[in-house]
Amino acid sequence: MKIKLQIYILGKVMTIEGLLMLLPVLCGLIYGELRNSVIYALFAIGYIAAGLLVSLKKPAKMTIYLKDGCIATALSWIVLSVCGCLPFIVTGEIPSFTNAMFETVSGFTTTGASILTNVEGLSHISLLWRSLTHWIGGMGVLVFLLAVVPMSGGSNMNLMKAESPGPSVGKFVPKVRTTAKALYTIYLALTIIEILVLIISGMPVFDSVCSAFGTAGTGGFGIRNDSFASYSSHIQWIVAVFMILFGINFNFYYLIIARQPGKALKLSEVKVYLAIILISTVTITLNILKVTGGSAEAARHAFFQVATVITTTGFATTDFDTWPTLSKLIMVVLMFIGACAGSTGGGIKVSRFQIRAKMIVREIACYINPRAVKKVQIDGKPIDPDLERSVSVFFFVYLLIFTASAGIVALEGHDLVTTFTSVAATINNIGPGLSMVGPTCNYAFLSGLSKWVLIFDMLAGRLELFPLIIFLNPMTYKGSFKGFFSMKQN
Amino acid sequence: MAKRGLRIIVVGAGKVGDTLVNRLADEGHNLVIIDKNEERLTQLANLCDCMCISGNGASHEVLEEAGITETDLFIAVTESDELNLLCCTIAKQFNNKLATIARVRNPDYIRDVSYLRSRLGIEMIINPEYEAAVEASRLLFLPAAISVNSFAHGQAELVKIEIPNGNILDGKTISYLGQNITNDILIVGVERGSELTIPNGSFELKAGDIISFVTTRKSSFHFLKAIGFNTRSVRSSMIVGGGTCAYYLADLLIKSGIDVKIIEKDAARCEKLCDLLPKATILRGDGTNESLLEEAGIRDVESVVALTGLDEENIMLALHTKVVSNAKAITKINKITFTEAIESLNLGSVIYPKYITAERIISSARSRQATIGSNLEVMYSLFGDRAEACEFKVKEASRVTGVMLKDLNLKPNLVISFIGRDGKIIIPTGSDQINIGDNVMIVTMNKGFTELSDILK
Repeated sequence: MKIKLQIYILGKVMTIEGLLMLLPVLCGLIYGELRNSVIYALFAIGYIAAGLLVSLKKPAKMTIYLKDGCIATALSWIVLSVCGCLPFIVTGEIPSFTNAMFETVSGFTTTGASILTNVEGLSHISLLWRSLTHWIGGMGVLVFLLAVVPMSGGSNMNLMKAESPGPSVGKFVPKVRTTAKALYTIYLALTIIEILVLIISGMPVFDSVCSAFGTAGTGGFGIRNDSFASYSSHIQWIVAVFMILFGINFNFYYLIIARQPGKALKLSEVKVYLAIILISTVTITLNILKVTGGSAEAARHAFFQVATVITTTGFATTDFDTWPTLSKLIMVVLMFIGACAGSTGGGIKVSRFQIRAKMIVREIACYINPRAVKKVQIDGKPIDPDLERSVSVFFFVYLLIFTASAGIVALEGHDLVTTFTSVAATINNIGPGLSMVGPTCNYAFLSGLSKWVLIFDMLAGRLELFPLIIFLNPMTYKGSFKGFFSMKQN
Repeated sequence: MAKRGLRIIVVGAGKVGDTLVNRLADEGHNLVIIDKNEERLTQLANLCDCMCISGNGASHEVLEEAGITETDLFIAVTESDELNLLCCTIAKQFNNKLATIARVRNPDYIRDVSYLRSRLGIEMIINPEYEAAVEASRLLFLPAAISVNSFAHGQAELVKIEIPNGNILDGKTISYLGQNITNDILIVGVERGSELTIPNGSFELKAGDIISFVTTRKSSFHFLKAIGFNTRSVRSSMIVGGGTCAYYLADLLIKSGIDVKIIEKDAARCEKLCDLLPKATILRGDGTNESLLEEAGIRDVESVVALTGLDEENIMLALHTKVVSNAKAITKINKITFTEAIESLNLGSVIYPKYITAERIISSARSRQATIGSNLEVMYSLFGDRAEACEFKVKEASRVTGVMLKDLNLKPNLVISFIGRDGKIIIPTGSDQINIGDNVMIVTMNKGFTELSDILK
């Protein structure tokens, strides 16, 4: 492990966070929230200065191996969250460190689970910062770093691999930097389009910006206590469509921009994703017809809730906890499926399920023809055995972390549904679960221990388990520090 | 450099491909690599900023996927000559302006180089074995040098020598050298231990320093003679290993009247060499057999060139040569690895065919890129990448033109190594000046120069 390299990356991450924090400061000044603006501005300037100071010296060796990439990612996200939560504490809006951390991690990991009982009580500046954390966390801060800071060498692909969701992270173009730039350009463009569409359809500007940030990162922090229930129905339709758009693999958009729509339409993951949405929406609509006031409303609620859960956003227009069991079950299943790989969404990802499903088919075929040689193919390309292995291991590790977390949360003695869905909603980065953590409730009642477990789950889910495990594994650091300290003495 | 990188496709991720890709990526080009071996591709993609496509580089579909229509430069360096030529031919069909480079090693095709270039439109045909042979022959013509590289289309040479104990240069400053010995050479770099210096006039040379100087071929002989070096070319050479490179080298040496002995294991190959090189003495036997080497006269021969296919054998052979005789030893090393350890051995001169190939291709990519912006014509990396030699074309008047060199306020660690004017090379002194239309070569340890005026403080 290269400590100098880690410090350099952390410095850059802090600088970026400080710069992005200036946006809420501007908003605070517009709304005349002077005291909070000063606090945020001081933090922003502090982070920029500290970041610049720390990353002043570029390390001579910039080769980032996969291990370094994982550590840098985990470390960056932790630092990002700690730095991000301090303003909440100092402004006194979320005085406890645990709660502020929960809120911020929930923001950056695009979970959207909140401990706030009264969201509307927050200042505009904090509301915007909360939503902005979604936007930053959606595409990832290291991808942003790769896009703006020139770093030579191809090994920085390992940073992107560690941070970006999906079983295999690829590049559209030869250079990492160009790829990262393309991703952020698409991301920014879609966000701006959403803001404009929302403003045109009659949403206040501040609400539009916050909602768009929440949708783009598939986060889910609402700025009203009832999330989206009180907005007009056409705004709900627009937001639902944008959620689904942000849950699509960004390769799709790149291929369309690169004038290869043929290839884009062939992406099987996107097709499967859209098919799941369609089937779930239809089933739930039919199932909830009786409890809602008419088919149009049922369709709208079904579509919005399916979109919000499969993309792991976590907005709500209705309390789906009151729905029939079949609908609730579908919602829980969708929580685990998650969005497409290479999108801003969380969950296990459609492509992992695709690979697993095809592996099952192959396994069955091998029982019928034991000597059959068969490869799992996605989009007409054979899947690397290493990838198959890593997907299998991912599922099991996921299961282990899930069970262990649920076990700890269960110590509190809440009902099974609450315990189960609180972990499911955080590890999959959704936000609202069912029962006591349902769409109309929040996470404030949980104990400190449970909150920290869920904070871990949110980070683990967003970074797709392994970077965090590598970071926490003592074996990773064998002998690294010794070298660093003896070097310092010289 | 702020210039736009070229879009380059490299077919073949073998050892040359590997070196090439790493170097090209460092220079900011957009690279796509095509190879059939996925494992090699994955390894490359992990450490290098490039896109990898697995498939056959001669396939129309694969090339299309690699974005051939928007590519500026196409390089085929697979193991097979035929595949390389085929790749280039097919790639050319997409885009007539595309520059293609093919690696071709088989002497059968090398005789057709001009035909291949004109008919198939291949811009450059590179033959690592031949390039290595040329480099080895340069060293045999000037055995006192550790290495000899040519510059500026062969008009200038960069010669590297070690100052032996008791040499007249020991303890002399560079300005003394200029006043008393010769003005026709310019020392561009001194390596003392692991430290590299670009010296100024007051720099004092010491025995054991390895100096590199730029000059024309004729002046280098004069200079070396003046400081007491032997400038005579070797009269006899023993080549161990009878591969393609050995054939090219023997051919070059025999043409200059040098006596050549080739030791080769394989009987059929010996026969073949015998047909190709009637004037050479071909010995059949194992080149690592000590008694055979004795019998072949390793103690009396003036140079030994180790060209077997095994790097370890070559290294041992060179070490052995150094122990038993005073002959000039040249070692060919195929695999570019453990370079630091190899440098620390007393091997004499080492040539890396793969490195030479990569270097040739890279300088071609640089000159293509240079046509896009800036006045930088060619750039070479020197001293294991610690310094750069940049050649600029002076197109217009600027702060550096028309002023005597001694009056220019230059950055430290930089020298103007030569000025090319009207097809002649001028090794500049303080009273020379740069004119419009000149080609100027700068050697510097500061990297990233794009304009000649960057040399000023």
